[in-house]
Amino acid sequence: MSKIRFFIALWVSKLAIIALKITKHAGTNFPGIVALKICPMFLKYAKKPEKIIAVTGTNGKTTVSNMLLDILTLDGYNVLNNKAGSNINTGIAASLIYGMTVFGKCKHRIGVFEIDERSALRIFPYLKPDYMLITNLSRDSIMRNAHPEYIANLLSLYIPNSTKLILNADDLISSAVAPENDRVYFGIDKMKGDLNKCINLINDIQICPVCNHKLEYEYLRYNHIGKAYCPSCDFKAPEYDFTGFNVDLDKMFIDVKDKDGIGSYKLLNESVFNIYNVVSAVAVLRTMGYSHDKIEKFFRKLEIVESRFEETKYGSRTLYKLLAKEKNAFATTRVFDYISTMEGDKEIILMNSCQGDMHHWSENTCWLYDCDFEFLNQDNIKNIILCGPRRFDHRLRLLLAGVPEEKLSFAEKEVEAPSKLKLFENDNIYVLYGTDSLNLGNKVSAMVRKLLKDKADKFEKRGTSRD
Amino acid sequence: MIKVEILFPEICNLYGDLQNIDYLKKSSDEIEIVEDNLVDEPYFLNNVPDLIYMGTLTEKSQNFAIEKLRPYRKRLMELIESGVHFLITGNALEIFGTEIIDDNLTKEEGLEIFPFMAKRNMMNRFNSLYLGDFDTDDLNNTKIKIVGYKSQFTQGYFLKNYNTNLSGDLGYMFDTERGTGLNPEIMEEGLRYKNFMGTYLLGPFLILNPPFTKWLLKKLGCENIALAFEEAALKAYNIRVAEYSEPDRGFTY
Ligand SMILES: [Zn+2]
Repeated sequence: MSKIRFFIALWVSKLAIIALKITKHAGTNFPGIVALKICPMFLKYAKKPEKIIAVTGTNGKTTVSNMLLDILTLDGYNVLNNKAGSNINTGIAASLIYGMTVFGKCKHRIGVFEIDERSALRIFPYLKPDYMLITNLSRDSIMRNAHPEYIANLLSLYIPNSTKLILNADDLISSAVAPENDRVYFGIDKMKGDLNKCINLINDIQICPVCNHKLEYEYLRYNHIGKAYCPSCDFKAPEYDFTGFNVDLDKMFIDVKDKDGIGSYKLLNESVFNIYNVVSAVAVLRTMGYSHDKIEKFFRKLEIVESRFEETKYGSRTLYKLLAKEKNAFATTRVFDYISTMEGDKEIILMNSCQGDMHHWSENTCWLYDCDFEFLNQDNIKNIILCGPRRFDHRLRLLLAGVPEEKLSFAEKEVEAPSKLKLFENDNIYVLYGTDSLNLGNKVSAMVRKLLKDKADKFEKRGTSRD
Repeated sequence: MIKVEILFPEICNLYGDLQNIDYLKKSSDEIEIVEDNLVDEPYFLNNVPDLIYMGTLTEKSQNFAIEKLRPYRKRLMELIESGVHFLITGNALEIFGTEIIDDNLTKEEGLEIFPFMAKRNMMNRFNSLYLGDFDTDDLNNTKIKIVGYKSQFTQGYFLKNYNTNLSGDLGYMFDTERGTGLNPEIMEEGLRYKNFMGTYLLGPFLILNPPFTKWLLKKLGCENIALAFEEAALKAYNIRVAEYSEPDRGFTY
């Protein structure tokens, strides 16, 4: 009976794919939604690739899944994946539908799936990854994710026993997930810019899991990411099986060593987040049996240039468009920290309010007090433009962070923000938008771009007429 | 000096809760902060602080806090009965109740100070905005409008006919206008007994509610009460109160 149901679901969703194509509709997850509606056990009966690699975690899962997908494709596999769809059960179902013939046979030998860290319950009873990478777990949306310990518990409960885990030893929260499972650890040795004490507001694991004394760190990158040990007992973070070291940001390379040797890998960008992404991808591929030699070659061919921002230069001024996920203090802090390291005069348009909450609900602003706005208290940050309905909450937060009132400008609507720019010589302008305000981010950036272009054109004209 | 004791900031620090005390400190130089940790003797054991604060924590950490505080239950009762101020936000409130019953039927016994229990369902996160009133208990019966956020896995219940050792009457902290009370069936929010104040409202509660914070500082004996960035805090507060009072504003989801 359930098999019949499964096939009906498969065929109807296949027809849905055809219908979407004919009517030129997007809707990558739609077939998955249809299939799960008809057959709630669809994921159980769907034929899967022989080998499955899953990637989850709070940050970096999309980047690393794409890296693995590209590399396995370079190796000649036709890799089943959910890159185009969502990372929850409907997205996984949709990609399995695309991957099956009408007779329900899977056309792929290997699959790489990015999996939402909260969807374990709905996915893992049916999809049993051979390898699973957990990039890291950190504080995210208070309303959906509660706290990282909650997510770690969910994963521990639902990850299949047979799955081999590839874990970040520099993150005590995710590295402790599913303790019974077979596992390997990656991490990055001490590097330039490391701290030995947490300077961030969020620090989600402060006590030793054995004796409750305060943990200390041999080195610390940000929040709780670093090499922890307990000064009161012999607890320490897991030893690395795959160690990133010799980070060279001039040549953009990192070495990764393990018991069989060393490889040298191209970095995609200079952020610590992304250095971890590279090391974690190497750890997955090494665990799958690829040699350093082979992975190095793949990395050299990788086309993805993972840019952290969109940068446009007009004359002496530069516009940076940056994604800072709204209601995500951890990710936004990384963006603030990054801006604080940049040189020159800076102006910021802060528009990462939750647009979805604006009209019928009101944003839960707790995240403002988890997020290190203190990074914006800096001499060369000269103007911060606050906009949207939460602008007065942002103002109070910035004042408490020590930013003087004179540096704050206000615009009721986001589109009015560019007119508040002061446009200094050699100005660097940062437009910070959230996933909820992608279109608005584009619109405001386009307006700023026009302002900068006009100003540069005028300057050029003046210059030529003087000649 | 006014001594504010923070219980276990190394675990009771979710959602910006600790910024509440930071705000008090920024608002008055009469405030002195003492931090307790899980491995040393708490300050209140041999001293009488002016305010004890405890913020939101994870479910596992709730157990740590309960086990740490259990040997000091009698002392805590003594301090509460003698009128020491307590401000307890988020699920830290549950630690002072009788028990926390999990949906998978595990049970964690609380400090059993108040006849109050929590039912927890880890698959169901409950989120709400909040608008309510706080009774200052002064001669004019002045009420302070309260705004805030709730985000929790639990619902709270008063236990009737529970034999407590309390010398006075147990009340609640806020009258709910919009949003929900301790559980979906009642409009009362939080727990108030003498100067013990516990609420499920979490995050930067004192920053969101400058009138309440001024009232609290006065109660604690602060002489110069000008909040840090008071004008900015009041402006944000007034906007929020107006927003939450709009009839078509959604409150739970
Ligand atoms: Zn220890």
